[in-house]
This record gives sequence, C-alpha cells and structure tokens, in this order.
Amino acid sequence: MQDTVKEDDILLEVRNISLSFGGVRALENISFDIRKGEVRAIIGPNGAGKSSMLNVINGFYHPQEGEIWFDGKRRHHMKPHQVAKLGIARTFQNIALFKGMSTLDNLMTGRYIKMRANLFSQMVWVGPAQREEVEHRQRVEEIIDFLKIQSIRKTPVGKLPYGMQKRVELGRALAAESKLLLLDEPMAGMNLEEKEDMCRFVLDVNEQFGTTIALIEHDMGVVMDISNRVVVLDYGKKLADGSPDEVRNNEKVIDAYLGVSHD
Amino acid sequence: MFYRESGDFKTSYIQDQQIFPILQDRVFVTVIIAFAFLVVPFLINDYWEKSVLLPVLIWSLAAIGLNILTGYCGQVSLGTGGFMAVGAYASYKFTTAFPELNLFIVVLLSGGVTAMVGILFGLPSLRIKGFYLAVATLASQFFLVWLFNKVPWFYNYSASGQINAPERLIAGIAVTGPNAPPWATYLFCLVFVVVFALVAKNLTRGRFGRSWMAIRDMDIAAEIIGVAPLKAKLSAFSISSFYIGIAGALFFLVYLGAVEPTEAFGIDKSFLVLFMIIIGGLGSILGSFIGAAFMFLMPVLIKNILVNGLGWSPDIVAHLILMIVGGLIMFFLIVEPHGLAQLWRVTKEKLRLWPFPH
Ligand SMILES: Nc1ncnc2c1ncn2[C@@H]1O[C@H](COP(=O)(O)OP(=O)(O)OP(=O)(O)O)[C@@H](O)[C@H]1O
Ligand SMILES: [Mg+2]
Repeated sequence: MQDTVKEDDILLEVRNISLSFGGVRALENISFDIRKGEVRAIIGPNGAGKSSMLNVINGFYHPQEGEIWFDGKRRHHMKPHQVAKLGIARTFQNIALFKGMSTLDNLMTGRYIKMRANLFSQMVWVGPAQREEVEHRQRVEEIIDFLKIQSIRKTPVGKLPYGMQKRVELGRALAAESKLLLLDEPMAGMNLEEKEDMCRFVLDVNEQFGTTIALIEHDMGVVMDISNRVVVLDYGKKLADGSPDEVRNNEKVIDAYLGVSHD
Repeated sequence: MFYRESGDFKTSYIQDQQIFPILQDRVFVTVIIAFAFLVVPFLINDYWEKSVLLPVLIWSLAAIGLNILTGYCGQVSLGTGGFMAVGAYASYKFTTAFPELNLFIVVLLSGGVTAMVGILFGLPSLRIKGFYLAVATLASQFFLVWLFNKVPWFYNYSASGQINAPERLIAGIAVTGPNAPPWATYLFCLVFVVVFALVAKNLTRGRFGRSWMAIRDMDIAAEIIGVAPLKAKLSAFSISSFYIGIAGALFFLVYLGAVEPTEAFGIDKSFLVLFMIIIGGLGSILGSFIGAAFMFLMPVLIKNILVNGLGWSPDIVAHLILMIVGGLIMFFLIVEPHGLAQLWRVTKEKLRLWPFPH
C-alpha cells in the first residue's frame, strides 16, 4: 500500500518513534504517515499513547528514538512554537482556550504567526499595525461565519458552554491556516447534536480548505464516518493501520479496543 | 451621563477596534486631556502639584508598567521599587555626566536602561512561575537597593550617599530643582503619561498584547499557536521595566528632587504599585490610573477627614487605612480581579441599557 503512494503525497511521517517517561513506555516503535488532504484518525483505548503521539508531533515531547518527516524534510529537535511556524495547528483534549479573552481575541491570537507588525508600528498603531489588524480581522470574521459563532464574538470564552468552547478552540486552530490540523478528541463530552455539528465542521474544513486533519476520537461511529484511514494504538504499540473497514474487522483491534476476548 | 450605543453602529473594523468604541467615552476622554493640558497649568499651585497631581501621574505610569507584566502577561513581580530605583539612578548618572542632554532624552534613556535590567531579572521567569517568580523578583528588589547604597559610583561619591536632582531647563524653563514652577513639572510628567498610556493601549490591543495574554491565560496553548515564551515574557519584562524606569526617573527628578534608595524605593513601593493594579484592575490601562489615584488619594482623603476634621488620633487612622486597603485587596482578589475598572464597565453596561434592562 505504502509503495503506491508518491513521496510528495505524504505530508507527515513518523518513523520508529519511541517515547518513555521514566519507566512508562508511552510509545514503542511507532511508524505511520499522514497523506496530504486526508482525514487520519488515531484511535485506541485510554492511555494508549494517542495524546502523547500528538505531543511528539507538535514538539511538546521529544521522543528518545525515531524520526519525524514533515513536507518532505526531516524535522530536527523543535520547540512547539517553531512547529507552529511550519504549519501545524492543534486543539487539546482538555480545553486550552485563553479564558481571559473574548472569542474574537482568541481567534485573532490564533493568527499570531501570520502577523508581522513590528514593535514600533504597534506602538504607533495608526498605519501598518492598524492595516494589518483590519486585514486579519476580516479573515477571522470568515472563520466566525464558517463556525456560526457570530453571536458569541465578544463573549469572554470562560462564560461559554463546553460545546461552544470546543468550537472556539477549533476556530483558533483554523485561524492559523495551517497545513496540518491535529484534533485531540474534538467531540469528547458533547451531546449528539453538538457532535454532528462538529463532524460537519471537520469535514468542511477538510473539503473546503483542503486542510489535512489528524484526529483522535473514541466514538467509533464518528471515526468510521469521517476518516479516510485509521491507525490503532494500544499500550504504546501500533496494532493496526488501514481503512476504517480494514481496521473494524481486524481481530486484534476488536480484542484490544472492545476489551472482549476473541475465541 | 447616559451611554447609548444606538445610533452609534460600527460600520468598519477600524471603528470596532477603537480604544473607546462608544462616542460618549471618546468625548469624555478628549475633554479630560484637553482640560489637563490647557486648563490645569493655569490653576495649579504647589499643593496640588506636590500632593496630588505629580504623584498620581507618576504612580499611574508605574502602575501601567507593572500591569503590562502582571496584569497582561501574568508574571507577578515584587521588584517595582528596585526598577524605579534603576530609572532614578540612571537619570541621575545621565544628567550629571551630560548636563546639556535634553531632559526628555534623559528620562527616555533611563527607561531604556531599566528595560535592559528588567530583561536580566526577567530571565528566571522562563523557568519559574507564580509564587517562586515573585520571590525571585523580591530578591532583585533587595539586590538593587543594596547596590545603589553600596556602590559610590552610582551616587557620584557624594558624602551623604544621596542623589540630588540638579536644575535642568527645557526651553529656558526649569523643570527640575527648587526653582521649577509647578506647571512646568506637571506638564513634563503629563506629556510622558499621556503619550505612554496611549502607547501601552496600542501595544496591548495588538499582536504583542495578545501574545502576553496568551502566555498569561494558557502558556501551552500560546506555544502551539507560535508564541515563543522567551520572547513574550522578556518583551513584557522589558517594556514593563521601561515604564517603571521612566516613573522612577520622574519620581526622582521632578517629584522628590533628592533620593535615598532604601527610603524612596523600598519594598513598600513594590507592594503599593501591586495593590494599585489589583484594586484598579489587572489587565486594564484605565484601571492603572484608577488604582493609582485611589491608592494614593484615599489615605490622604481619609486622613484629612478623620484627623483634621474629626480630631482622631493619627495612629488610629493610619491603622484604619491599612485595614481598609487590606480589606479591599482581599475583596478584589476574590470577588473582582478586574478591579474598579471592571465595576465601572459594568455600571456603564447597565446605564447603556437603562431604563430597559432586558
Ligand atoms: N508527561 C507525562 N509524564 C509521565 N507520563 C505520561 C506523560 N504523558 C503521558 N504519560 C503516560 O503515557 C501513557 C499514554 O498517555 P496518553 O495521554 O498519550 O494516552 P491517550 O491515548 O491520549 O489516553 P486518553 O484516551 O485517556 O486520552 C499513559 O500511561 C500516561 O500516563
Ligand atoms: Mg489523550
């Protein structure tokens, strides 16, 4: 399967990643790739190492072994803010919004790497800084319209209900207009309606903006519906990798994920 | 004054991004600034200069400085007194070494020196947070005051160990020294305060301010959107210290005229400015002004009423003031971290909808 894919179709590839914390082996020799334009799901039981994998990809954790290739180049030791500049954005499993700010400001802050005005023009404001602010405000308003959050534009995010906060966090990640979007359980804790909305947004982002997406999700129904390929982790090891159908019918996955013994 | 948003619709993002989006606020602030520049200089006398206007202006500048660091960037500092001392001593060294140097430039350079010292003492913030950072800045407070006491070069080897502001003129008018007229010292400070309050507002509503607030609210999320913690924290430390250094220079040059570091820039000053921003409002430029005015004037007012008016003993009143301040600090920290500025905002919100609250 790998062989049929052209090199430049792959956006991100992790090779033989091993990560441990003291005695805990969070990831053991994990390899997989993410193709340009696809929705890639990462699934596995609690503690499988899914979030750790995202933390490796965006530079929070530094694996003891393995390589990360992004956009055809080997990526060396990088800090998260450097990874952001490469074009990787993400959301967190536990909401990590800037709760002292409004929805609008959270999204504007999401465009930090896109903004250039230097200290002096910021101090003067009138001129380049203001022009830049207006220009980016327009892009942010497009995202606000896209996510249908116009009515909470000026609301401090701390006051929003949980589902809305998740949506704003997606908005903040979108604001960076990155190549790769990492979503850590974007639908966790949501009711059915909110989940459906979120699925729609994820698919629309993928289709309309062409953004490559890697997401972690526990809801198998959702995973089967929206992802092109699925990688399954269990206790830090890779169990399976393939299309949703292949993965669903994989016996190892059924055993591990559903916790039922197979006989 | 009733606030009306009706008829004041914003038709562009520029209008929406104004410092004061509501028309009445804009008019109000313009009138105050015009009054401060055009009317007050003709009314001012020694008492108003020394007891009210200069200290409130200078403390406001220091409060804006600390608010940038603590209110916007979330880095607690107890080194404000020490950084003010750096500004004061830098201005002393500059103006004695280069007597011809324009005093505006002296003050700006002093801010620059303090900014660099601020970066140096801000370095620990990359490793430590919260309480531990506060303790580290406390150490810098004591170290700096100790330094200015111990090294004679800083006070030009004067026998008293004090520094004295020599007379300096701007456009032929004394701005420092005993002969400076009240309106001149006042205008000199006012220019700095108005210009740098505006600059602070511009910085905090743009990219820099958002990177500071991002670090304050959720540092890991700040990193994943591309904010380098090193850059954000150190820029907050340096800009904050720049403001505090200017405040220190003005405090020494035009307000006190003579300074002994332990007394003028002690730890009590660090706490005073911290209380100003807590009561005025963390993360608010307006709150810095309100807090500075409140913390400086409230004790004066209470003393005037109770000691001079009702004949209470000064000791009791001094304790009473401490208790009031302590109570207010607890109230604001627990109930309203955004301080008096927020209470004002909420009142405005209500007035705006009045008389139909729903
Ligand atoms: N910073 C850390 N320090 C120590 N151990 C860690 C750290 N981060 C993760 N781990 C450990 O690594 C393992 C994998 O954790 P991870 O959070 O990646 O799991 P997960 O698949 O995201 O689980 P969940 O579905 O519950 O979110 C766990 O055993 C966890 O305790
Ligand atoms: Mg997880």
